[in-house]
Amino acid sequence: MLSDEDKAIYEWQLDVAGLGEAGQEKLRGTTALVSRIGGLGGPVCFALAAAGIGKLVIAHAGNLTPADLNRQILMRYEDLDASRVESAKKTLAAFNPGIEVEAVPENIGEENVADLVGRADIVFGCAPMFEERLLIDRECMRQGKPLIDSAMYHLEGRVLPIVPGKTACLACLYPEVPSHWKRRFPVIGAVSAMVGNIGALEGIKLITGVGEVNLGKMIYVDAATMTMRKISVERREGCEVCEGDDF
Amino acid sequence: MRTISVLYTGQLAALAGCSEEDVAVDEGAALGRVVEELSGRHGDGFRDLICDGEGKLLGTVLVAFDGRQMQGERDGLSLDGVKEVMLMTPIAGG
Repeated sequence: MLSDEDKAIYEWQLDVAGLGEAGQEKLRGTTALVSRIGGLGGPVCFALAAAGIGKLVIAHAGNLTPADLNRQILMRYEDLDASRVESAKKTLAAFNPGIEVEAVPENIGEENVADLVGRADIVFGCAPMFEERLLIDRECMRQGKPLIDSAMYHLEGRVLPIVPGKTACLACLYPEVPSHWKRRFPVIGAVSAMVGNIGALEGIKLITGVGEVNLGKMIYVDAATMTMRKISVERREGCEVCEGDDF
Repeated sequence: MRTISVLYTGQLAALAGCSEEDVAVDEGAALGRVVEELSGRHGDGFRDLICDGEGKLLGTVLVAFDGRQMQGERDGLSLDGVKEVMLMTPIAGG
């Protein structure tokens, strides 16, 4: 049951058709894992915090550098050289103290992926390398957890909502780590924020049932022309990650 | 002969110098033939980004015909009836 303070904070959101108190309760009862909280993951966290997600588990190793600040909107200049997740946790706590934030100062790897995915009801993949994304995809398929995978490059981005057993998984689209992708990529913060917010919204829709989740679609957006397209994607026969698994 | 639109995303658009262009195709033309022509037009960097050493499309390049992803062996797919081909190189920027 929502408290009077909850009702006051989410008053305008409760008016969204199909959301209401039931949807708000679902958000409050949800734990989301966000893998990396940079240009994409930061806005994802902000949007989920604003919407009233119950708990965020944020995973990102390392300390804040000057080159992060053009896009990593959860960070603060005063935290340069300090832990990224701790800086982000402070920002989120100041923004919405009603949500719980667990800061994990690690990137997701083989050693922690099962544990971290296991703590969440839904996962948001925002890592800069395919190795990490595909690892999260594999674990989400294994544990039957929905995954919203968002990515960007230059002035464009794409979002892929993944529901185990129902949609293509990331490995259906990328059966191997693409050899040409490099760690450094051109980015304006407004573009990564736009893509992150599309990903967050797909997750909010999935959690609450409001609107229409783009299952079986890849959402592609080109900010150079402000064009949005949706591409139908299907499960790949023989996908070693999701094909034949008993969901 | 007719004209189709080819859309490029990611690094491919940078190498092509545009995000969309019209390409003339013969009746019965296959995607691989068009990719070969485009690689000749846009250079080795373009070819290396989407093709393997034998000139076949890499599995990590997404291909969509009229908004629908094509799976399996794409090089031999006929373009008959197709109006728009989208070539998407993988991106993972976070």
